[in-house]
Amino acid sequence: MPDTTAEIAISAALEDYLETIYGLVRDNKLARVKDIARARGVRSGSVTPAMKRLSELGLIRYVQREYIDLTANGEQLARRVFARHQLLTRFFEEILGMENETAEGDACAMEHSLSPSGMDRLARLFEFLRVCPEGSELLQKFHRCSVVHQKHTTNESCTCANRSALCHLHGQPNIAVADLAAGQRGQVTHINGSGAVRQRMLDMGILPDVIVEVERRAPAGDPIWIKLQGFQLSLRKKEAAAVLVTPV
Amino acid sequence: MSRAQTQTPIRVALAGNPNSGKTSLFNALTGGRQHVGNYPGVTVEKRTGLYTLEGQEFEVSDLPGTYSMSSYTPEERVAQDDLLEQDHDVVVVVVDSTTLSRSLVLLVQMLQLDPGRLVLCLNMADEAARSGQQLDLDLLRRLLNIPVVETVGHRGEGIDGLKQAVRQVTIASPEKCKLTLSPALDHAIAAVAEHLTAVDRDHRAWVATKLLLQDPLFVQRMNTARFDRALQEAQRQRVRLEAESGRDVALFVMERYHGFVDGLLRQVTLRAPHRNARLLSDGIDAVLVHRLFGLPFFFAVMYGIFWLTFTVGEYPMGWIEAGFAWLGTHIASLWPPGADSPLRSLLVDGIIAGVGGVVVFLPNILLLFLGLALVEDTGYMARAAFLMDRLMHRFGLHGRSFVPMMVGFGCSVPGIMATRTLEHEHDRLATMLVLPLMSCGARLTIWMLLIPAFFAPAWRASALWAIYATGIVLALALALLLRRTVLSGEDAPFVMELPPYRMPTARAVTTRMMQRSWLYLRKAGTVILAISIVMWFITSYPRTLSAPRSGGATGAAQLEGSIAGHIGKAMDPALRPLGLDWKVGTALIGAFAAKEVFVAQLGIIYAVGHDDGHTLRQQLRRDYSPRAGFALMLFLLIATPCMATLAVTRRESGSWKWALLQLGGLTTLGYVVALVFYQLSRLAV
Repeated sequence: MPDTTAEIAISAALEDYLETIYGLVRDNKLARVKDIARARGVRSGSVTPAMKRLSELGLIRYVQREYIDLTANGEQLARRVFARHQLLTRFFEEILGMENETAEGDACAMEHSLSPSGMDRLARLFEFLRVCPEGSELLQKFHRCSVVHQKHTTNESCTCANRSALCHLHGQPNIAVADLAAGQRGQVTHINGSGAVRQRMLDMGILPDVIVEVERRAPAGDPIWIKLQGFQLSLRKKEAAAVLVTPV
Repeated sequence: MSRAQTQTPIRVALAGNPNSGKTSLFNALTGGRQHVGNYPGVTVEKRTGLYTLEGQEFEVSDLPGTYSMSSYTPEERVAQDDLLEQDHDVVVVVVDSTTLSRSLVLLVQMLQLDPGRLVLCLNMADEAARSGQQLDLDLLRRLLNIPVVETVGHRGEGIDGLKQAVRQVTIASPEKCKLTLSPALDHAIAAVAEHLTAVDRDHRAWVATKLLLQDPLFVQRMNTARFDRALQEAQRQRVRLEAESGRDVALFVMERYHGFVDGLLRQVTLRAPHRNARLLSDGIDAVLVHRLFGLPFFFAVMYGIFWLTFTVGEYPMGWIEAGFAWLGTHIASLWPPGADSPLRSLLVDGIIAGVGGVVVFLPNILLLFLGLALVEDTGYMARAAFLMDRLMHRFGLHGRSFVPMMVGFGCSVPGIMATRTLEHEHDRLATMLVLPLMSCGARLTIWMLLIPAFFAPAWRASALWAIYATGIVLALALALLLRRTVLSGEDAPFVMELPPYRMPTARAVTTRMMQRSWLYLRKAGTVILAISIVMWFITSYPRTLSAPRSGGATGAAQLEGSIAGHIGKAMDPALRPLGLDWKVGTALIGAFAAKEVFVAQLGIIYAVGHDDGHTLRQQLRRDYSPRAGFALMLFLLIATPCMATLAVTRRESGSWKWALLQLGGLTTLGYVVALVFYQLSRLAV
């Protein structure tokens, strides 16, 4: 079994270096420390210790001073890292419909932490969605479905109202409407509270995904005056604290 | 048989959001033929009116404005019960065309509640058109399967079309629109409705939805063995819906309503609004609600209303006073001079003086309501509430409570009537009950007599200021106490719409003004008439002298010997701890009739003409210490609101309970404050 390199566990940073060297070697035959530093966006001085460690692991070798090539083991490992990166990037772009730049970034962040079996399952799902007829049909439906889009108004063909996963995900950057500055806008994610106040807010059209804008505050800073969907409301700070938004 | 005998009026209800122009539409439909009352047991106005179209009478009821058919506010409960129980022939759903995405939710709820045949009225169509919005009305009619008309209520445009549509829908009633909200929700509603066989078929879906939503009103009403299974099923379905949707059921249902409306609007919108129709309004707000200029402007507006009410109103007040005086003299002259006739005395001193004392406020009330109607109809009232809410909310009141309380400095009666502008019952009651603490104009005549009597010139302004300030502080403290005790409960939401400024129409303003003034005259008038007669009786009987009344001395003797005099003497032991005595007690009975009567009564007791303030002051100074004088002022400020105030509190709160609480509570408080002040000040000196 030649696959001994799989046993070598190297740090995320080293994997990144290996991947960079792989790209440079593929394009230019050899990788120069200066180029590696430029590609990784670091100074040449910080590259050297990493190269030393990679060479100790037998993954690279110095051809000349400054010029680096991959060993056979190194190349094998690098190819695997590179493939993972490619797969993740395509997954984010083609399946999840993300922009190339964010997809690249997320792939970089994820490729090191996925277990081999997790990676394997993801690859299978990718194949299924891209290749199997049922899969691609499903993918099309998914892209049409309102769940993917930010506004629940954009598409009605999908009746799934379950956006709990999204809600939890979006729970992170929430701030209260009461904390928006005058002139700032936010997209509603949660309406907390209970009873008459909450019901009144729902009745008034303060619902998830609606964009609200704080127009002004009363002289003492409370209540606040908000705009949404073509009309204007006032609410007390305490009430506005129950409405969580993501600033937009 | 004539037509009039065979036909019963067709019953039409108007439902809609507050600020949807429903009331002006109601006025345009019914013209002057309307009746304003209250729903039993609550302080919610009930208006009904009539109109005739091609020989057929239509009876229109204007339901309280609500944003939705939930059951949290008295308005919502009243409107909902009315729709569920009253069997209206037609329900017109009035919506503001400029905020369709929100206001059509009420229509969806109406489709679900199914109170009868529906007509959709897109009001304020002119503003929507100005914003560039264009709808395919034919498609909307087809999709909803109900008549849809556009109106501009305050200008009376489209009213004929609305009348025709209402008539048409009673003749040919179209198939009901099948409402589908979402498969999961529709299924859950149907599952609960199955167990609601005891409920009217038409309302089952609605009641089922309410049970799903755990609406407290419905859950409480249906908490009987008969509905056990329905409640259990609702519980099960709710858990399922919440698990599937990942959100609570109130939000889920509301989102489905909005989803329906959004879907509908996407289909019928030919052109979305693209011009900001609120540009001017927003520009005005930038100035009027400015963080620095907002409050000064508000106080200027308040001052303007004050000036209108009490300065301009003084002239017609004088004419009315003169008129009643003239009437009294003329009626008195029907009897031979010098004759002591009880009937003459009843007519002149009792009825004419008593009713005159009420009618004399009519110009003030008309002008005040003119000012308030302008403030309300332009949309400024909502801004005023926005500006004042922070302060008022600290004391458990609502931003809007400020305006009635300011009015109370003029007269408690119109102030209490102005509490109608408050949406929520607890806010309204709290404001109403503490309002007599705002030192009114009538009490100013008392301060003018008492302050110079007991205070050196240098202290007079401070004394007056202290009295007003005490009133304000006590009113706010008492409001807080009320909201913490008798009127406790969750704060009413301040989530309030700020509609764009609108030019008020003369018709809307005068209708509002006249209706409220008429209510004052009629209801307060009858109670006050009764109390006037009682007051007359206890000051005139028993007759101590058969000789004709000729001078101050005999008047004083008569009053002292009368029932009122005896009551005054009976109060003597209670008044001693305040440094006062029976003479003041007897005058206090007069103050109950009307605060300014205190001065007149005191004049009679001291047997001096009541216009002779100087002599009276000397007498007072001789009998009472300045500390007792201030204790008396405190008592007059706080205790016993006058009978007109009580009558109007009774009227506006809908029960004697609140009026009596006001009387008892304020009198006790007044006594305690006066007592504590007098006793402590004695220790201090």
